[in-house]
Amino acid sequence: MPFKFIAIILGCLLMFSAQAAERQQPKLGYQLTALPEPATAPGFSLEDIDGKKFSLKDYRGKVVLLNFWATWCPPCRREMPSMERLHQKFKNRDFVVLALNQMEDGDQVFTFVGDLGVDLTFPILFDKDSSVSRAYGVMGLPTTYLIDKKGNVRFRAIGGREFDHPEVEKQILQLMQE
Amino acid sequence: MPTKIYTHLLKIICLCLLYTQAQAAETIIQKNDASGLLTWTSKDDGFSIELIQLNPDFVRAVYAKHDFPADEVERIAGYCVFGSIIQNTSQQQLSYRVADWRYVDKNGKSYPVKTKAQWLEEWRKVGIPFAWTLLPESGDFGIGDWQQGFTTIQIDRNEKFDFIYTWTLDGKKHQGRIDNMSCAPAAL
Repeated sequence: MPFKFIAIILGCLLMFSAQAAERQQPKLGYQLTALPEPATAPGFSLEDIDGKKFSLKDYRGKVVLLNFWATWCPPCRREMPSMERLHQKFKNRDFVVLALNQMEDGDQVFTFVGDLGVDLTFPILFDKDSSVSRAYGVMGLPTTYLIDKKGNVRFRAIGGREFDHPEVEKQILQLMQE
Repeated sequence: MPTKIYTHLLKIICLCLLYTQAQAAETIIQKNDASGLLTWTSKDDGFSIELIQLNPDFVRAVYAKHDFPADEVERIAGYCVFGSIIQNTSQQQLSYRVADWRYVDKNGKSYPVKTKAQWLEEWRKVGIPFAWTLLPESGDFGIGDWQQGFTTIQIDRNEKFDFIYTWTLDGKKHQGRIDNMSCAPAAL
């Protein structure tokens, strides 16, 4: 009987610790919201830092994680390493990460990547006038979409995420198997 | 004797639970020891909001970095600017509209919070294409979604005010209120 009470007291203490932790920065979650109806992903053709062109249509047949971000955006910085880990895990399969920088230049992105402490090996593209983000209806940064192999937007995440979380990986694998 | 101990323990547990319940709608104010700036955090009914005082020099630096004209930088820095983080903490869809948010001055007069769309329209008119940093004017949040950006209040920097915000969860509109807020000082 006393053990039950001790367990309850410990439970209370843990609850308080959890509440204290919640008052820190928002934790990066893993849930992606499924769109009620898949929508055709707006096409685009953008350049990377070396001037190489990338078009969304080139990735038909692959699952695309499309991330809208900027260097000044703290959650964008926080989620980038998880995107790299995800890219490393699935890069030899039907999957690609495309990170669309908003309204910045090569120098700013170059400095950001240097400071990040993680080599980003997926394509970083420049949406210099934010026209692509407007086409996708992006309201704030970061916002990320999962596009299926047929070019339809299937999932969305507003705010930072841990993209290599097993639940996200499961959703990507499901899309790859369709 | 054991019965007495259990009674005391039960009282402690009840107090723990009551404390937890009371915290649900409580606003927590934290002070940054280094800068002296304040942060208000309120969590209630599936929605959390955090408002962080930003000093005018920080605001100037942000917009100067984005190549805003000097007079526009000064105009924005003249507002009472907060870094804001809003979060869907529920397990349902949630939506918000900054156009429904208000602040109330010391005389009880209520004003609408300026929206990002209003700012962008003003920036567009003076040829500024930049469209980020401000809290989006509305959002439909899925589970786990959150957003951050600046919230601007036009009030005398030394005047206190109450902040009223709303969100819709499962078709029901909710309202929260943070009383006695203040702007960051003009200079630290």
